[in-house]
Amino acid sequence: MANSPEEIKKSVRTYLFVGGVLFLGTIITYLVATVPALDVGKHGFDKWDCVLGLIIASIKASLVAAIFMHLNHEKKAVYWLFGSGLCAVISLAGLTALALGDPIFDTFFYSGR
Amino acid sequence: MEIPYIVTPRKDTGLFNSKIAIWLFLASEVMLFGGFFSAYVFLRIGADYPWPERTLPVLPGLINTFVLIGSSMTVVFAWASLKLHQWRRFQLFMGITVACAVIFMILKGIEYNVKFQHQAVRLKDYSVVEGHLGYEKVGEEYEKDHNGHKIEENRILVEATRVTFNTVRFHKSWVEELISQAEHRKSKIVLAEDLSAIIDEGQPPKTLAKAGDALSLELLERLQKAHLDARAHNGALRTAALRGEWKKANAANPGKRGWEIASGVNIDVEALAPKLLTEIGTVAFTVEPAARFDFQPRDVREAETQSRLRDDTLVDGKLLASPMVFHYVDAIDFQHLAMKAVEKGQDPMVAIEDSWLIKNHPFAKEAWEWNKGEVAKLEKKLIEKYGMDGKTGKPNREPTLKERYRIGWKDFVAKADGVGREKETIALKEEFMGPDYKGREAKHTFPHLSLPREQVGFASKFSPAWNTYYAIYFTITGLHGLHVIGGALVLAYYLFFGRKMYESNPEWLANRVEIGGLFWHFVDLVWIFVFPILYLM
Repeated sequence: MANSPEEIKKSVRTYLFVGGVLFLGTIITYLVATVPALDVGKHGFDKWDCVLGLIIASIKASLVAAIFMHLNHEKKAVYWLFGSGLCAVISLAGLTALALGDPIFDTFFYSGR
Repeated sequence: MEIPYIVTPRKDTGLFNSKIAIWLFLASEVMLFGGFFSAYVFLRIGADYPWPERTLPVLPGLINTFVLIGSSMTVVFAWASLKLHQWRRFQLFMGITVACAVIFMILKGIEYNVKFQHQAVRLKDYSVVEGHLGYEKVGEEYEKDHNGHKIEENRILVEATRVTFNTVRFHKSWVEELISQAEHRKSKIVLAEDLSAIIDEGQPPKTLAKAGDALSLELLERLQKAHLDARAHNGALRTAALRGEWKKANAANPGKRGWEIASGVNIDVEALAPKLLTEIGTVAFTVEPAARFDFQPRDVREAETQSRLRDDTLVDGKLLASPMVFHYVDAIDFQHLAMKAVEKGQDPMVAIEDSWLIKNHPFAKEAWEWNKGEVAKLEKKLIEKYGMDGKTGKPNREPTLKERYRIGWKDFVAKADGVGREKETIALKEEFMGPDYKGREAKHTFPHLSLPREQVGFASKFSPAWNTYYAIYFTITGLHGLHVIGGALVLAYYLFFGRKMYESNPEWLANRVEIGGLFWHFVDLVWIFVFPILYLM
């Protein structure tokens, strides 16, 4: 944790840099989604565009969490608290992914064949 | 009492208390929003209609992203200024942060407002029309309803002769509405025939109301009370009688189980009849002379001779032509129709040519023919640019479903101006508010369309009711907006009421601002995902 004036002055420069990266990331996301020449994948818009967009968003989100929210140098307790929440989300979202194999999505299940 | 660990960290965790608290809270927030995001994924995967990809205006979303990232930076600068004991700079940065929150909410408000005024309708054959409804006109003047409001051309019109209320379920404000509508049309709603009922046990019937009595809430409430009293009285009598019968039956059949003798236990209906009161389940009124009533489509299930309101009020009378009239159509969308055709094994192009819109609406046909030409041009261009796949013999890139089957307002504009899609330049205002009908000389650009009621499958504004996309959009952005408001209130409190604490205990205030800032960063972090997922995908 930056507490002395020198350290804070130094970290302000980091914040400015990270802010710049975030602005840049937003512009890239926007361009990738709207400019046809930058499309990836077969169609104008498909799953690869989604994947690319989400990767950029994840990078931006990690930057906010690590630098602005000081998660790059926090106490252990914070990692445990936040990490457990994150794990819960990932595992629950994983459960919903498992449910995609549920016969409720299978029309033949109900047709009796 | 002194609160411990507000400035100094606890030895075991190394943190001051509020930091533990905010991280606990943020962990729960992560789970909340994570739940909504996985709901989004599920709704999108399981959607049985073409998911509306990139339908939201991107520019307001983009600006809002910049605004939130900017405010995330200023809030961290504000905290740094407090740590360096620069009160003025803190005020400046915190002020910018709060201003950013206000800008964000204003843009969000504009975005929501545009949605709530935008009408969509799905026809019975699954073609979708989007645009703006008009108002009924009599000659040159707009027709006004009894409240003096213009009547939107999406009303069910009934030439009512008779109205029958359910005495238990009638909805008060609708009754008042009917009375004032009748008044407005210089007509009267009066009781159809004398109403007499037994209201005291064993007494002869009493006249409760006479034929010709005007409809009033007071009258209906009086009848409701009489009805409910009678029902309670009769119910109590029947229960008592049945209890007596069971007692007798049990005495007559010792040792037998209830279900063995149940078929023999019956109330003596005839003996009970003279004691019963009259239940008045429904009460009929006539409309003299017959008058035109208009109803919101969602409130009424209409039919040729008798329509039923949602409160079980029956309205007898001829159903008048109640078309839904778009003064401006700004999208004709055949994606859903094409999807249904493919599901049935039909050729989507044939199904579209057969649709009601193409057959009955010259402009739709013209626009569709134009769109087919544009798609062909696009296909050619894609082949030129990306080539063919050697193995399958198919082009490497094909137009998307949306490009093939949806004619949006930008296409209408391009068609009218004779300019290709790519070259069209759009006024900044339109990026926020949608098509500018007046500026575009709407009559030449956006068709006027009257839809007969029997063609309407489902109609709604662009509200959560329209489809699950708008449902999850309003849920996630609404919840996020509430977080913005909440966070801004807390930060504004530090800004406007923090001076005293700054003078007495600046470290404490710095810690508070850090905690508020953590929440603010989280709000930004959620938006970083919301923007691409809802606006760009």
